[in-house]
Amino acid sequence: MMAAEPIPYRLRWRPAGERAGAHPGSGEGGEGAFRRHVPLLRHPDPRRVDVRETARNPMGEVMVRRYSRRAAITVAAAVDLSGSMGFAGRVDRMAVVSELCATLAASAGRMGDRFCLIGCDSTVREDLFLPPTHRRGVEAEVYDRLMTAQPRGAGTDGLALVAGRLPAQRCLVVLISDFLLPMERIVAVMDGLWRHDVLPVVLHDRGEDEDLPAFGLVTLRDAETGRRRLTLMRPALRAEWSRRAAARRGALDRLFLARGRAPFHLVDGLDRDALAGHLLAG
Amino acid sequence: MTLAVDTPAVLLLAPLALLPALVLPFAAADHPSLTEVPPDRVSLAVDAGLRLVAVVALASLVLALAGLHRLAGSVEREGRGAEIVLLLDRSASMDNSFAGRRPGGDEESKSAAARRLLLQFLERRPHDRIGVAAFSTAPMPVLPVTDHHEALRAAVHAIDRPGLAHTDVGRGLALAFSMAEGATPGSAPAVVLVSDGAAVIDRRVQDALRDAAARTPVHLYWLYLRTQGSRGIFGEPQQPGEDTPQAMPERHLHRFLGTLGIPYRAFEATGALAVETAIEAIATLETRPIRYREPVPRRDLAGPAYATAAAGVLLLLLAKLAERRPRRAARP
Repeated sequence: MMAAEPIPYRLRWRPAGERAGAHPGSGEGGEGAFRRHVPLLRHPDPRRVDVRETARNPMGEVMVRRYSRRAAITVAAAVDLSGSMGFAGRVDRMAVVSELCATLAASAGRMGDRFCLIGCDSTVREDLFLPPTHRRGVEAEVYDRLMTAQPRGAGTDGLALVAGRLPAQRCLVVLISDFLLPMERIVAVMDGLWRHDVLPVVLHDRGEDEDLPAFGLVTLRDAETGRRRLTLMRPALRAEWSRRAAARRGALDRLFLARGRAPFHLVDGLDRDALAGHLLAG
Repeated sequence: MTLAVDTPAVLLLAPLALLPALVLPFAAADHPSLTEVPPDRVSLAVDAGLRLVAVVALASLVLALAGLHRLAGSVEREGRGAEIVLLLDRSASMDNSFAGRRPGGDEESKSAAARRLLLQFLERRPHDRIGVAAFSTAPMPVLPVTDHHEALRAAVHAIDRPGLAHTDVGRGLALAFSMAEGATPGSAPAVVLVSDGAAVIDRRVQDALRDAAARTPVHLYWLYLRTQGSRGIFGEPQQPGEDTPQAMPERHLHRFLGTLGIPYRAFEATGALAVETAIEAIATLETRPIRYREPVPRRDLAGPAYATAAAGVLLLLLAKLAERRPRRAARP
């Protein structure tokens, strides 16, 4: 297992959890970055009395310092494990997914957040379900489990069950899939996760379309149904396929943006810097 | 047309020909989802076409290995023409000219004229079924009734060979009648007697001829090549007591043939032109639709089947050579 380099991320919302962490949380607390002074009578915490502010107060009130609380969240990786995820074009898709999830787990650990893995095909895969945990070294386990997992089956119904496995509080859900499913199904999945902050990671391999030959007979086998199709490739057809794939990605962009977050397009291998930039942009 | 095979056991392999309909011999590359890929009409057509070609190629191969052939048989054909038995005189006098001499200079012997004109006759009537018989001292069957005109031409070519001694018309006619009897039932064959003289017909032969004429309704034509000086068919006796078969055999043969009770016509020709006219007349009289059966030999179809299979396999080979495999990373 490679060493999973953690990458930073930040949220555009203030988590409300009780657990102290690295993210600016909602409400005020006794530690963190200074926020404001309030009268002792409003917040009776004499440990935080600010002597200088009290002396400066024209009304003679005793002032107490209030701080912005920092909270921890749960980062959940929801991984689509349907048959199409077993595709290997320029890169092995599951290797990319394993690396991505290990990175997310390492990052969550470094940020003090909990990490949760939910693998699903037509249902939630229990062998790839990892409840929210703080445990050190969880990234190694995540990597090993995903690398040995066999993506199979044609269903993606499990994605709709992800919401039931998540904590009730708002989480950062990284939805990793190639999203080769009907648009209405994607809408249903996204609507089921309304409570959470969902970052869709759209996997795309240029071996799917761009690497196809310009001329010749190509037999393609659907990874989910096993159906074969003989195709007489020609430049016009290849351009048409690329055009349709691009149009689909555009439709996905619009769908996810309408639900608050731009998807991260993971083309071929994992580009950590691009992912970090996307995460920092929020 | 009946098809048959030599070794039917090979046909047990025939179901294998359906295999390409299920799967084509192309290596498939994985693709995440083909439902997102639009169906391409050209590709679908190529797919169906290749499957069809493969099935046909395998089926032809199996049939060829099994030894496909068309059984020997016969086909019924219909043509316009007649069934004709040519009865040719081969007596020595036929080698003389119409003037009764050895032909010399630009003269033509009677047999040569008959040969030339009969060959023209054959040329014009490709659908006739014709038999050839000759007679001299004894009757000679030359060629049974047939429509193989090459053989007929050869038989007619041979009639100007130097002739033999005598003229036995009676037995020659009997032979011609028996040949006409063997022709297609239902048709009325014609017997054309070509001679330059006649002879006395034995009484027993006369009876036999009457029987034969009653059995076989033939049309009888006598093309009499009259030599200069001979009295001919229609010659009247000049002196009383001369009217005997011995003295005037032609006249008496003509009269006897008229009594046979079958359609009979005699032509008397004194030169090549007259012979031509007579043959024309016979040709116009004897033109009827005739049905005949022609034998068809066994035809081996393994060759065409192998050719079909080779063409199909060639197409598949081209398709296989046109196959491309997209690059795919190996799963660790």
